[in-house]
Amino acid sequence: MESPIIPKVIREKTKYCFECGICTASCPMVELLSTHYNPRSLLQKALNEPEKTLDDDKLWLCAWCYKCYKRCPQGLKPPEIFQLLKNRAMKLGLFNGFKRATSIMKEKVPFPLICWYACFHPERAEIGDKKITEVLKKLAKQPKLAKGIEEDSNHKDKVAIIGSGPAGLTAASILAEIGYPVTIFEALPEAGGMLRKSMPKYRLPRKVLESEIQRLRDLGVKLRTGTKVSKDISFDEIKQDGYKAIFVAVGAHKSRKLGIEGEELERVVDALDFLWKVNTQQQVNLGKKVGIIGGGNVAIDAARTALLQGAKEVIILYRRSREEMLANPWEVAEAEKEGVKIKFLVTPVRISEKEGRVQGLKCVRMKLGVLDETGRKKPMPIEGSEFSLKLDTVIVAIGETTETTFLPENLEVDKGGWVQVNPFTMETNIAGVFAGGDMVTGPATVIEAILAGKKAAYSINQYLTRIRKKEENHCGD
Amino acid sequence: MVIEEKAKEEPRIGVYVCHCGLNIAGTIDCEEVTKFAATLPHVVVAKDNRYTCSDQGQEVIKNDIKENNLNRVVVASCSPRLHEPTFRKTCEDAGLNKYLFEMANIREHCSWVHLHEKETATEKAKDLVKAAVAKVALLEPAIETEVPILRKALVIGGGVAGIQAALDLADTGYKVYLVEKQPSIGGRMAQIDKTFPTMDCSICILAPKMSDAGHHPNIELLTNSEVQEVKGYIGNFKIKVLRKPRYVTDDCSACNECSEDCPVTAPNEFDAGLATRKAIYTPFAQAVPSTYIIDHDLCLNKENVMACDKCIQACERQAINFDMKAETVELEVGTIIVATGADIYDASAYLNYGYTRYPNVITSLEFERLINAGGPSGGSLIRPNDLEVPKSVAFIQCVGSRSEKGNLYCSNVCCMNTIKDSLLIKEHWPDVKIYVFYLDIRAFGKGFEDLYRRAKEEGVIFVRGLPAEIIEDSKTHNLWLIGENTLQKEIYKVNVDMVILSVGIEPCIDSDIIQRLFTLSKTSDGFFMEAHPKLKPVDTPTGGVFLAGCAESPKDIKDSVTQASASAARAGILMGQGKVTVEAITPKTIPENCQFCGLCAQVCPYNAIVVDKEKKIVEIIEAACAGCGTCGAECPFEALHMRHFTNAQIHAQIDALTEMNADKKIIAFCCNWCAYAGADFAGVSRMQYPPNVRIIRTMCSGRVSQKFIEHAFAKGVGAVLVAGCHPGDCHYINANHQTQKRVERLWKKMERIGVNKERLQLLWASAAEGERVASKVREMQTNLKKLTLDEVEKSKAAFSRS
Repeated sequence: MESPIIPKVIREKTKYCFECGICTASCPMVELLSTHYNPRSLLQKALNEPEKTLDDDKLWLCAWCYKCYKRCPQGLKPPEIFQLLKNRAMKLGLFNGFKRATSIMKEKVPFPLICWYACFHPERAEIGDKKITEVLKKLAKQPKLAKGIEEDSNHKDKVAIIGSGPAGLTAASILAEIGYPVTIFEALPEAGGMLRKSMPKYRLPRKVLESEIQRLRDLGVKLRTGTKVSKDISFDEIKQDGYKAIFVAVGAHKSRKLGIEGEELERVVDALDFLWKVNTQQQVNLGKKVGIIGGGNVAIDAARTALLQGAKEVIILYRRSREEMLANPWEVAEAEKEGVKIKFLVTPVRISEKEGRVQGLKCVRMKLGVLDETGRKKPMPIEGSEFSLKLDTVIVAIGETTETTFLPENLEVDKGGWVQVNPFTMETNIAGVFAGGDMVTGPATVIEAILAGKKAAYSINQYLTRIRKKEENHCGD
Repeated sequence: MVIEEKAKEEPRIGVYVCHCGLNIAGTIDCEEVTKFAATLPHVVVAKDNRYTCSDQGQEVIKNDIKENNLNRVVVASCSPRLHEPTFRKTCEDAGLNKYLFEMANIREHCSWVHLHEKETATEKAKDLVKAAVAKVALLEPAIETEVPILRKALVIGGGVAGIQAALDLADTGYKVYLVEKQPSIGGRMAQIDKTFPTMDCSICILAPKMSDAGHHPNIELLTNSEVQEVKGYIGNFKIKVLRKPRYVTDDCSACNECSEDCPVTAPNEFDAGLATRKAIYTPFAQAVPSTYIIDHDLCLNKENVMACDKCIQACERQAINFDMKAETVELEVGTIIVATGADIYDASAYLNYGYTRYPNVITSLEFERLINAGGPSGGSLIRPNDLEVPKSVAFIQCVGSRSEKGNLYCSNVCCMNTIKDSLLIKEHWPDVKIYVFYLDIRAFGKGFEDLYRRAKEEGVIFVRGLPAEIIEDSKTHNLWLIGENTLQKEIYKVNVDMVILSVGIEPCIDSDIIQRLFTLSKTSDGFFMEAHPKLKPVDTPTGGVFLAGCAESPKDIKDSVTQASASAARAGILMGQGKVTVEAITPKTIPENCQFCGLCAQVCPYNAIVVDKEKKIVEIIEAACAGCGTCGAECPFEALHMRHFTNAQIHAQIDALTEMNADKKIIAFCCNWCAYAGADFAGVSRMQYPPNVRIIRTMCSGRVSQKFIEHAFAKGVGAVLVAGCHPGDCHYINANHQTQKRVERLWKKMERIGVNKERLQLLWASAAEGERVASKVREMQTNLKKLTLDEVEKSKAAFSRS
């Protein structure tokens, strides 16, 4: 008997999809592709007539952000259900869905190639990388739109973008296509933001990033790398330079501290720094046994990278249980497959030293209590459950915060320090200043940042058009 | 005596195989089973029948008893938990002692769980019939003893269900104790503004009933009280109730002077925290009793420390008394009605809806208090952040219901409650724009559809699809709802002034305690389980204990009241009869075997055995014994004769089941209340599992003697399962502790003699956990496949020796 496309376990659970639409309304791809994509109806179709779904391009348009799963009242994991169908399609040699999906992406989504590599993971379907590379290469060869799609694109209003991560790049690309002169200010010597800084090369080949950034340059976008706003140029100076709108998307690069004894020791490193060093070919000496603290995607990336760097044993220590992990379940599974160990319900209390270096970690076991403000069960230490681990390196990945000190003081931020914006227009409380990406949402996925960049770009266009019309009317008086 | 003579006669057995329409015959070849039954020893008659429980079916049995002079009867049909009483009655009618009857459960435990394995199911049915025949041949007639029933009842919970049940019983003429945890009776209904579908004012129709209950000569109200201990059995319960002090005597005239002077303020629970109360207070205007109460946790005065005497000064009637102490009231009652109600789902777990973070997101219960004339806003619909009347509101359905995140079940009342609430808004503020975001609107009751139509007529906008998130505008505190209209396949972004989360209903927080006190069962939803979902909907598996209201499942007021009257009637029937017969399943001593070691007395959960080692006396107090049989399992000398579940009878069942292909089989000993009922539940739910398991019923898993298990292994059985109630849920207090000990002892022995101890499994499964039973069997079957013949021979030899 042929094995069912959707295994019984999943089918059993998915029966209880009452089609509330929460997945669709949460999905960044739905916003990017509008009517073309609807995970709810795709899921229903997959359950009722799985065979008919196999050739559907929509199967390939899930960006693995798991926002649907995080909100689904039934805790369903649409990305993984779609994955089963993709595997099946590949087995049957149904490749057209994927091909169509690439052309849809090219038309509707900025930086489709980056998305394919960093978000969509077609390689997870059980096919050789070769076939994918072929299709994607084709995609890369066809340069997308040229400058100035709008007929009357005689815009003079300059737009400044601070930060060249996925949100900044996206906004720049769209605004430049409309015809605005765009300048990106980037503190690091090269553009790309988190894509370059912390995304492991195995997830995004740097050639892809380079070519996309080059395409942006070809569109006429000015890239002022190595320019840190506040140090090299002030926010006010940008304003005075005649930029009519500013999009701030500097991400969340400041690692949170553990706040425990021993954090200042050699070989206690923060995860983003570690990934940055590896990505820029700097020497990193990890020793044999590496402990990683945290349960998000950065922790997983750091763990997998540490293994690639030659660490013999990599252990992730997470203070809650698997269910509460913020990292995508798929990434966690992949990391575990590669040999990363995860200890749940454990929190470090002290880093012990030997001659100024990390020697080990004293930890305490946790238990889960009542729900906290994040809706997850709050971990609480179990008294007397302390134990020690021998470690050579401790990598801290307990989350990141953003930097807003370079921005005007009256800019509204929330309790967590994240910038407050109108979620539909990305406008901040200061006229002409827009913000998006991780600095608004907190650490999130590439696709969400791209969506924010797109929303901001269109909203900036509207804003500038409005101002221009006002000025024109004014002149006519 | 006739009875003894019958016992000595050569067994003449009649076997009746039921088709149960196609329920059994659809899977099992009943004619073949009948033919097989005819070949069994002592079987005189074997017949099959379409419906054995029908009048005609029973007539056949009665005729055969008379004409063929049958002295034993076996019916192979459904679960004995369903029809054993029916067929026992049939036997009695034909002059046969009802203890000479046995059932083979070939429906719940066979045809329904092996739907697609017709041949093996038929083989299994034959086995089950064979075991029943083997047991019935050894059954003995018995006469039941009668227990008087006290004509007093206890009702736990003073919500509308508890009040109704108490009034019905009191009006019939029985004394009723109504115990309520809160300072006043009234429950959830007192908090609600209007009721659906007729829009009556809730408190207006409830208050007279509360007052009746408060003044009824047959009702004794015990408010601010909790049940602490339950002892005894049907008809003769001994209850301890902890009555906490009010610190205000009955002289209180409810003038409120004390409350005005009290300096301590706290959120008022009755108003869902939207208003405040003092440390000395009355929960609401219509409270019964109206006597005020001092919240001791809040009051500045602690034990022996008087820091404030403002209330004492204010009270003209000198009704305040800080010397009051908690007291334990001891009650003796014949029947009990559990009406402990339900709690409201905590919506703050839905992070994306921002409840408690956004001031203008409230729950449906908070809304009831807001719209109620006696509530904090005097009945004016206002939004919490600026006290303005909202121009638009949105209701979100299924918050905490029909979801893995909250509860899997539908909470039953929220759809209609929202429709009612939307009409209430339209009635007073017709211009308010109302959205209802729903999954399915369930308007199934009398008059419900009309109300739904009215809401549509009034212009309430129903949108199918729940918001994925709510975003608050930080300046205006208005709320953006973003979701998918799944009928239009469009994303909506709706801006409203206020959001009302239609929160679900949960089992009440004390339900675990109540479950333990009365040894009740719970369904997987956490609500108490009825004895039979269709035919005994208000009875519990514990004799003399009944259910009413939301304790059993979420339900509206009408259903709660209906159920309350039903349970009052059920309790009334028992008390009206004044006596109840107790099953003749208590043990008898065999004095010649007894060594007076006292082990039986040690394990008896009821202290029903007295052993005097010196005088060499052993005595069983029958009235106290519940018949679990753990004494019989413990006795090393076969000195206890466990009536209807004797060693010989159970051995005969094991022998019958292991005669053929023993190494491929699993013998499962299941307790009547949980594991056996769980297996029944698996059957009713058609959960499929491998057909090689054979279930032997005992009253308690504590009856399962080590010898039974060893005997099964000596007979070459592949595996043995012992299954009982979860620890703490045992229907015989804690007899299943002994089960665990015995199984652990055997595991050690198996290790010692080199037998794979995986072959003996212990399972705790409640009556609702059919899937647990089924998956255990599946798991054991997987292991059984790996079992080698050598291993079987080895255990056979090892256990034959011992």
